[in-house]
Amino acid sequence: MGDGNRSNSNKPEWLLQYDLIGKIGEGTYGLVFLARIKSPTNRGKSIAIKKFKQSKDGDGVSPTAIREIMLLREITHENVVKLVNVHINHTDMSLYLAFDYAEHDLYEIIRHHRDKVNQSINQYTVKSLLWQLLNGLNYLHSNWIIHRDLKPSNILVMGDGEEHGVVKIADFGLARIYQAPLKPLSENGVVVTIWYRAPELLLGAKHYTSAVDMWAVGCIFAELLTLKPLFQGAEVKATPNPFQLDQLDKIFKVLGHPTLEKWPSLANLPHWQQDSQHIQGHKYDNANLYSVVHLSPKSPAYDLLSKMLEYDPRRRITAAQALEHEYFKMEPQPGRNALVPCTPGEAFVNYPTRPVDTTTDFEGTTNMQQSQQVPSGAAIAGNMPGGHVSNRSVPRPMNVGMQRMHQLQAYNLTSQAGMGGGINPGGIPMQRGVPQQAHQQQQLRRKDQMGMPGYPPQQKSRRM
Amino acid sequence: MADFMTSTHRAKWIFSPQKLVEKYEAANQRARQTLEKCGATLMEVDVDGSLSYPEPQTTANDSAEKHSRIKPLSIEEEQCIKVFYENKLQEVCKNFHFPHKIQATALIFFKRFYLQWSVMEHQPKNIMLTCIYAACKIEENHVSAEELGKGISQDHQMILNNEMIVYQSLEFDLIVYAPYRSVVGFTDYMKEFCNAGEDELQTLKALQNTATLEIDKMMLTDGPLLFPPGQMALAGLRTSNALHNVVDFDSFLSRILSHQNSMHTMAELQESLDAIDSWVRKYRSPSEKELKHINRKLKSCWGLSSHDEGKKREKKSKHKSKKSSNEAQNT
Repeated sequence: MGDGNRSNSNKPEWLLQYDLIGKIGEGTYGLVFLARIKSPTNRGKSIAIKKFKQSKDGDGVSPTAIREIMLLREITHENVVKLVNVHINHTDMSLYLAFDYAEHDLYEIIRHHRDKVNQSINQYTVKSLLWQLLNGLNYLHSNWIIHRDLKPSNILVMGDGEEHGVVKIADFGLARIYQAPLKPLSENGVVVTIWYRAPELLLGAKHYTSAVDMWAVGCIFAELLTLKPLFQGAEVKATPNPFQLDQLDKIFKVLGHPTLEKWPSLANLPHWQQDSQHIQGHKYDNANLYSVVHLSPKSPAYDLLSKMLEYDPRRRITAAQALEHEYFKMEPQPGRNALVPCTPGEAFVNYPTRPVDTTTDFEGTTNMQQSQQVPSGAAIAGNMPGGHVSNRSVPRPMNVGMQRMHQLQAYNLTSQAGMGGGINPGGIPMQRGVPQQAHQQQQLRRKDQMGMPGYPPQQKSRRM
Repeated sequence: MADFMTSTHRAKWIFSPQKLVEKYEAANQRARQTLEKCGATLMEVDVDGSLSYPEPQTTANDSAEKHSRIKPLSIEEEQCIKVFYENKLQEVCKNFHFPHKIQATALIFFKRFYLQWSVMEHQPKNIMLTCIYAACKIEENHVSAEELGKGISQDHQMILNNEMIVYQSLEFDLIVYAPYRSVVGFTDYMKEFCNAGEDELQTLKALQNTATLEIDKMMLTDGPLLFPPGQMALAGLRTSNALHNVVDFDSFLSRILSHQNSMHTMAELQESLDAIDSWVRKYRSPSEKELKHINRKLKSCWGLSSHDEGKKREKKSKHKSKKSSNEAQNT
């Protein structure tokens, strides 16, 4: 019935409010598309639409999608993506989340500096990005939400426009509210891309805290400074939850071996206790973090970084504390537009726009309608074939999407056309297995759009 | 937990009693109109989650006569049906040994769903099971639809068919706050308040347990749609305290108010707690006889009993045969 593979099928009604530009990302959870709003009120406004695949057979609506939606419905912060709409495709029970579009992310920004500009990111930008990231994270943590999957590709930065250079934390598919979990959180599968994974998780901690996010921020901070991932371990691929010796080794090499003195609860962590692969025997005594990140051990930047990379999660700096750190009080002070320094004279870097694959339609099949233009002066060059997209050599946790995908963003609360206060007024069921000629009008009449309450029953009619 | 003060629960899902009645009336009215037009009220939820209203039965020559015989449920009757299935919901959750939190979440989902719809439009048994399934998903205690269906010998496809509709009707506001956690918090606070020693701890435990049972009762009323969970927790504790006599409750309340910078005055708070109590007192389970009668009416509204619809309604006929009391009407 729900024939998912027509590439030329009738479009769902809600889709008609957008011009679909093309695919901008792909992951295990689904695809991300760039679209533009057609309605006069927000005409031309860019929207990222994240399509979730249907989950396993018999499992109903994707739990990842549901989790992301339910969290995003509750939170509003300048440095967190804002969900502007949810659309449902009844044909295959897939969900489409609409976010304001962010042109950049830290993964691309870092890569651009490393591969194209050959120059480090200026201090103002690093500090502003970091401050905003912490600001968003502090909001999440004070709402008892752990992100659990922070990495450069999940930290978006707005392109040209009113919010130019504003950081948006994205991708809440793995995020959790951490009040009294009914099950140990670790039962949900491995979390956090291993390069940014906190040592307590690597050592098998069962319950973890917001400190895992702070570790990831530390790793991202270092990467912004050096343009290289700080702890680039080789991931052991196995299920479930294999011991990641190489990743730990990379960390120990830079930070020195952890000791019970520095980290008392270390003794309780399963992999340490069992001395998995003689982990206690590896000895690196000299911490040399400062030389790896080229910072003076006396600089405030180094002080902040080392507090984020504190072994003991209980002693690791919190987002709230980090925001108060001296590093942010000295010049250059962080600003709202992280990409454009307020002080003249600083080099201005023109970051490339996201590559868009205009050959993929919402069904995920290639070759959509007549190809559309790519964003203004954009790098069509990046027209990436599917294979290429999925090939970034960043290790990934089992269940997690590929990294580059999460381009959902957000910004103002302006309701999009027809979005009203509620969600999904456009949740009009697509019809299935109906001859192509059928027009939307008819579709509309055929089935009620399950309205939000108060939607009057439309002409009752029966499916064939 | 995310903050209740900024939650969708507080912003969108706590109503005044009048507003609640309006919503019930609107759903009931809509179902009545459908009944008038189509001779039946049940919406079809297809495999793909899409909905349709019943076919107008314009061809049947006896239709006019038939329609006139089918009476819609009144709001009170709808309430009885909901009460019945809410009790069922608690039962199912208990049989599955789900944590309290899941039961509470499922109940709140169920209540919110039927703010948007009439029981004449969506079968409460299906919605109840789907709400449990959804609550398990949301509370990270994933149970497959199949497992859930098996446990109660129901076709699990029906759960999956209704899942999207349930989320949509809940407007995707899926994080809900139940009073149980607040009870734990307030009891802890009480511990400090009365400087509890060893023997008092025992009493406090008993106090907490009684309060929890009290809240189980409240959860079956309209309370969760009318009051914030903290107030329900306090109402439960107050009742429980009247029994166990642990603290002077009024001074406990004023202590809480002074600490929380509450925007409520003592009088307002007392008034809310009284109102919650009266909801619990007013609560009444319909008698079996009543239920049988209403159920019969409901079945005819659904249009489940007409023979010519046999194929279409195949799925549901199972359900029908289970409830033996239900007649082949249309005689």
